[in-house]
Amino acid sequence: MYTWIATDELWMNLAGRTFRWSTAQPTLPHACNVTEAFFILAVVIVTALAFDFTNGFHDTGNAMATSIATGALRPKVAVALSAVLNLVGAFLSIEVALTVSNKVVNIQGADGSPVTALMGVPILTIVFAGLVGGILWNLATWLLGLPSSSSHALFGGLIGAAIAALGTDGVKWDGVISSIVIPAVAAPIVAGLVAAVGTWLIYRIAATVPDQRREQGFRWGQIGSASLVSLAHGTNDAQKTMGVITLALIAYGSWTDLHAVPFWVKGACAVAIAAGTYVGGWRVIRTLGKGLVEIASPQGMAAEASSAAIILSSSHLGMALSTTHVATGSILGSGVGRKGAAVRWAVAGRMVVAWVITLPAAALVGALCWFLADTISGALGVAVVFVILLAAAVAIFQHSRKAPIDAANVNDEWQDGLAPATTEPAKVLV
Amino acid sequence: MEILTKSFVALWQVLAVGLLLGAGLPALFALGLRSLSSGRVVVTEGPAPQSKASALGLTGAVVCFAILGLAVAFGIIVIIFGKQLFG
Repeated sequence: MYTWIATDELWMNLAGRTFRWSTAQPTLPHACNVTEAFFILAVVIVTALAFDFTNGFHDTGNAMATSIATGALRPKVAVALSAVLNLVGAFLSIEVALTVSNKVVNIQGADGSPVTALMGVPILTIVFAGLVGGILWNLATWLLGLPSSSSHALFGGLIGAAIAALGTDGVKWDGVISSIVIPAVAAPIVAGLVAAVGTWLIYRIAATVPDQRREQGFRWGQIGSASLVSLAHGTNDAQKTMGVITLALIAYGSWTDLHAVPFWVKGACAVAIAAGTYVGGWRVIRTLGKGLVEIASPQGMAAEASSAAIILSSSHLGMALSTTHVATGSILGSGVGRKGAAVRWAVAGRMVVAWVITLPAAALVGALCWFLADTISGALGVAVVFVILLAAAVAIFQHSRKAPIDAANVNDEWQDGLAPATTEPAKVLV
Repeated sequence: MEILTKSFVALWQVLAVGLLLGAGLPALFALGLRSLSSGRVVVTEGPAPQSKASALGLTGAVVCFAILGLAVAFGIIVIIFGKQLFG
């Protein structure tokens, strides 16, 4: 495959093309020709859109689980509404989230442009490996029906890839503490408290309202507040993928504007997140709507209003909280705030475990993917990792079919496990 | 240490805004429903619960839901122009 020509030069013949590594000029460790770089760019874009898709379907439950559980909306209607709002929300975004990785890793300058030394294929490979880590974690937690933060999964993947590529200096540990660890601990507590107070107030104030009218009325409030959560989700989360793709285009050299996103990127991200939302992560929806708390519509409204208020205010108050952590905390709080409501703390405990593992697990996958792509190197390395990603995604999907959860059984009675009693034994699920 | 202090300040604010809007607005919604439903929300010595809302109850409900409508509109403005408004 390769032969030493001189002591400081390495030649490699790959798929009929000749590449040269020179240890004397280490500025371009992954020298590739233009076709190869373009191939890598294309794979990064496809992977980023795939991440956006998993982001959508993993998070449908954050907004719609309570509306589905209380019957305020039929399951299919709920995901369709959420999908439309995510689509609209994505187009509403006027921010350019180009510096999204700057919180946790050192691969971009303060203005969002790639670090000079990483320009081109190196940064594309890091971003690619990070995205793969994020996607696989999203799929794994979806299989287990556990809500977990898509942003944390993406950050985890990027951190792992950055450590693998640049060493521990590639990571901003201060940022990891202040924008990942502290918010993850704080979000469910704050959201739970707000939702508990809201639920308590609602039940006291509406105590004299006849039961049926109360249930009916709060369904409307629930739909309204859940819609706001969906809209905010579309704006916030699609923005991140737009930023990632724009960063890839800048690294490749086909885009130079640091203050705008190409329109096709915006459109593609909007469609990807909306499609993911519409497919509906039924497994996560079921856990959030039925598993945590037996929820009635007044609790549902308190939970969604708490989520909406916190998600919309937190980033402007200096601490962006994850939609997933906030939504989960809110639903738990709505159980705590209602006298006599059952809260399944064991289910909540499993979620907390998943949240703690999210960052290291996604980081590990991100790091492994980077090593693999870097060792094989060039377009082939990226292609191999992409094929592995596809294979893993198909395997996870196949596994999910053993105990499928969809619009038809999402609201079935919760019996100590994600899988409804009507299906095969639940042993496939942890 | 500085991280912790800054986080604590930010969290305190998030909690305050959360309680005001995240718990306060649903409470207002409940107040509107109660008002619509019984007409007894403002005066405790009002008429007994009846199937039709009293004029007073209806007015109270309209006020509550109008404020909620404004809050939702404000929410949408924050979603779109949040960074411009609050930095």
